[in-house]
Amino acid sequence: MNATWLPVTTLATSLLVVVVIFSLPEEARRLRTTVNLLAAVIKIILVTLMVGRVSAGYEDIFSFQVVGGVDFVLRADALGVMFAGLSSLLWLCTTIYAIGYLEGSANRKRFFGFFSLCVASTIGIALADNLFTFLIFYEMLTLSTYPLVVHSGTQKALDAGRVYLRYTLSAGVVLLLGAVLLHHLTGDQSFSSEQGLGNYLNDHRGLLTLIFALLVGGLAVKAAMVPLHGWLPRAMVAPAPVSALLHAVAVVKAGAFGILRVVYDLFGIQLSIELGVITVLAVAASFTIIYGSLRALAQEELKPRLAFSTVSQVSYIILGIGLFGPFGTIGALAHLLHQGLMKVTLFFCAGNYAEELGIHRIDEMDGAGKRMPLTSIAFTIGALGMIGLPPVAGFITKWYLGIGAVQAEMYWVIVVLVASSTLNAMYFLPILHRLWFRLGPAHGQGQWPKEQRLGRLETHGWLLWPMVFTALASLGAGLLAGTPFSPLDWATRVATGEYLP
Amino acid sequence: MMTLLLALSLLWPLAVSGVAIWHAYRTPEVLRDYFSLLWLSAAWPALLLAYGGEAQWRVDAWMLGGLWELNALSRPWLAFTALLWSLAAVHAKGYFAAEQAHAQAGDQAAQRRLLRLSLLWPLTLLGNVLLIIAQDIASFYLGFALMTFAAYALVAHSGTDEARLGARAYLILAVTGEGMILGGFLWAAGEAETLMLQGVREGILVAEHGAWMAALLWLGFGVKAGVIGLHVWLPLAHPVAPAPASAVLSGAMIKAGLLGWINVLPLGEAGVSASLIQLGNIMLLAGLAAAFAAALYGVFQRHPKAVLAYSSISQMGMMTALVAMGLAAPSVWPLLWPGVVLLAAHHALAKGSLFMGTSISEHLPRWPLPLIWALLALPGISLAGAIGAGMMSKWSVKGPLYEMHYETLTKLLTWAAVGTAALVSVALWRQWQQREQGGSNRWQWGAWLVAIVAALLTPLWLPLPAGSIEMPPLNEWLGIIWPLPVGVILAAVGGWATRPLKGKTPPAGDLWWLYARAASAALVPVRLVARGGGRVKAGCVLTSQKAEAKVMGYLARFLAAEHWLRHHASGLMMVLAVLLAMLLIWEGQR
Repeated sequence: MNATWLPVTTLATSLLVVVVIFSLPEEARRLRTTVNLLAAVIKIILVTLMVGRVSAGYEDIFSFQVVGGVDFVLRADALGVMFAGLSSLLWLCTTIYAIGYLEGSANRKRFFGFFSLCVASTIGIALADNLFTFLIFYEMLTLSTYPLVVHSGTQKALDAGRVYLRYTLSAGVVLLLGAVLLHHLTGDQSFSSEQGLGNYLNDHRGLLTLIFALLVGGLAVKAAMVPLHGWLPRAMVAPAPVSALLHAVAVVKAGAFGILRVVYDLFGIQLSIELGVITVLAVAASFTIIYGSLRALAQEELKPRLAFSTVSQVSYIILGIGLFGPFGTIGALAHLLHQGLMKVTLFFCAGNYAEELGIHRIDEMDGAGKRMPLTSIAFTIGALGMIGLPPVAGFITKWYLGIGAVQAEMYWVIVVLVASSTLNAMYFLPILHRLWFRLGPAHGQGQWPKEQRLGRLETHGWLLWPMVFTALASLGAGLLAGTPFSPLDWATRVATGEYLP
Repeated sequence: MMTLLLALSLLWPLAVSGVAIWHAYRTPEVLRDYFSLLWLSAAWPALLLAYGGEAQWRVDAWMLGGLWELNALSRPWLAFTALLWSLAAVHAKGYFAAEQAHAQAGDQAAQRRLLRLSLLWPLTLLGNVLLIIAQDIASFYLGFALMTFAAYALVAHSGTDEARLGARAYLILAVTGEGMILGGFLWAAGEAETLMLQGVREGILVAEHGAWMAALLWLGFGVKAGVIGLHVWLPLAHPVAPAPASAVLSGAMIKAGLLGWINVLPLGEAGVSASLIQLGNIMLLAGLAAAFAAALYGVFQRHPKAVLAYSSISQMGMMTALVAMGLAAPSVWPLLWPGVVLLAAHHALAKGSLFMGTSISEHLPRWPLPLIWALLALPGISLAGAIGAGMMSKWSVKGPLYEMHYETLTKLLTWAAVGTAALVSVALWRQWQQREQGGSNRWQWGAWLVAIVAALLTPLWLPLPAGSIEMPPLNEWLGIIWPLPVGVILAAVGGWATRPLKGKTPPAGDLWWLYARAASAALVPVRLVARGGGRVKAGCVLTSQKAEAKVMGYLARFLAAEHWLRHHASGLMMVLAVLLAMLLIWEGQR
């Protein structure tokens, strides 16, 4: 039984909501919110259905021919559904947060329209079954994110947007070149094809390596691998919900997910190992991890520090791919979800501090734990998870990556992991110390930069509850990693599918 | 029943923390009692659990798969740990009575400090309990990390500059240790494909690089246990922490490092590789070096708690040496380990009561001074091995060593006891110099007295396997007792001989200051490199911007050329036509 409607409807839900939002007038705040939240909930239900279908062993496919030899294909496989699940869950959270965050500001119609478009593109990326479909949504994501980055319209935002476009559009060209070369070589290559590109290895070794380099090089820009990461810290000028979405699921993760697709589904692990490109990937990822952590250490503002932390953390996923073993793969896949949950929490917290108290710099955070306890607890959970301390989800991935490294006999990766943990501790623990142990305005010393009393609780409820939810989710994903349908369990399911077909 | 007790002993401290938060928001500050009966009871379920008998639980949903166990090792360990935590909590109620009065009178700083302490104390306890019963790596690491990081608040409690330094030293070394533990665990568990501590032990035994894994884990846990070189946080953190916190820190928490070793190192296994034996010898040397050097350095300290911290380092050095025997001479371990547990338990309670005693001498009750000092000295005398449980614990490790003919080590341990005696006498002397009247509280001295009794009677209540501990035979008594008088006399002579120094003392934390200087020196080239990197980056950006401007300039000129083309369109057409014609002609002639 092929439930063709399922992937299409899931994609259509988010696309339809874009149309509805753009057709509604700017003032129809309540209606827009209702439509937006309703769509988000419906999409979660649809993705849950897909999860059920996939775990029952079905893979729903929707396809039509665009021109000869080029098909548009959506397929709900385990890996795609995993990313779709993360995307839809965090869409709901970030939408709720954004509604609270943008209360009373201008251009909300534009914002929510593009916000939904951005998420719709990630669903498309998740479900795309060939490079052509993937590319369409990938570029759609690039373009729909631009209005969000420059939302505030200040000179700084416009500059950041320009840098963002330069990086991502040139990467898009490179990616397109790779895709065209591949299409020229093999015709339409589905991600689900069993045979892979192994047949071409003997005659086209150089060309295959070139294609791999072009594809991964293009994707690495969004995945923010050093030295292609320059746009990410700049894009911090975007509003907090955008940063949260950008770092947790949309842009950065789309790049990492693309690399996962290319290595596992397009080239296949065997071929990638034979081409010798995997080790290069692992080395580049390790370099990025250390470099990102070092740069994060040098930041004095909260959001840039989190941004460099993302640069570092997303490369864990790439590193996991580079370990070419079941454990490394599980670690990579689980980190895709875990990092999303933890990072979104941290960005929600950063946004809350900025909105409620006007805090942007780290040295302004003294004693904020007293004023905003829930936010600070959530931040603590996220930060401990980033360091990789149990029981937060980050520990689980670090563990799997480490085990994977030992089994691949790449012992230097352990050194990288330990060094990265230590560096993470070095840049997160001082913040925690400031939050909980220093005296600040909450104790009658000095003043908050710009305090607003947004809600009855420590801040606006719409800002608070999504953050509490994601913090609990990151804790639960680690504490109850052994339960069925936990991120780890699902990642294991995907990975065993890859390794034991 | 046991499962209920287990759930209770893990959830109860959590609930106590929750109640602390609840009070912070709901109870008016005048009525707020940070150290209520509920708070005191945080460790009681764990204590009951230790006496409930052996049991095992498997929890698959828990992290990477949980395996918790009460066995011959974890039961006594849990018993002394939970007992010490309970006593220290009662002591804390008295110790912080004055601070609580301040808090209720409206002192916000005191409120903040006490809230933090009453919140994180049960969490630290929870970590400690979890790591003892855990038999899987994830739970153990979780317990260890929770205890380590929550204890930061205990060290930093007073918030003074010294406290901040002590807490920072504690944290920096703790993070270093966590890193090494993580590395060691990943390596060993990855090689052996295991998630259990048992598997790690077996894996290290057979792995090619087993000695290196063991060394990483040894040093990682060694930060807690105060292995020489990594011990520097102890003398910095102990003097600044409140007395009950020092008691659990020195009594229970540094023992977690010891337990870590026993849990992960393949002690007493036949067929230990040569390199592991080598590691055992290194551990043995490090342990003995710590036992003597700490004593030698510690006697010159001014602060009684710093002296006691050095005493802890010295004692842990002896225990390191004994654990090392499990690697270097595996056959002795089955006989030795109950003695090590007894030694640890006795040290926990004795050192706990010594640390609690420092708060007694700062707030003397209206008792005769000789009585107080006699009581203060009791756990110290026992620690030196002259009376009660101390004597038995000394014998319980010496007996097996004698039996297996390790006379040299026995002698060295006996001499180290001289150091212990000297340290304890110096601590008592410093307490005498710095004594203060008044402010004592019955909770405070009550807990202290119970701790002394518990320390002296350790073998009676410790649930060790039956028959594993014996009284020393009478003819051995002299051999165990003599270090005490010698140590006291040495301390007295030394004190008299160093009088010309006029009380100048070397700084607490010895090597820390060296490390700090080395670290700041190492940062200089790093800063230079960073500055160089920044310059290179700026240069790159500038160059590429220039290049871009140049290319754009060319492009613009091309566009300008278009105008010229339009202008001369007809002429160019002509030229083109002529060229084409010529081409055709040339083609035709071939």
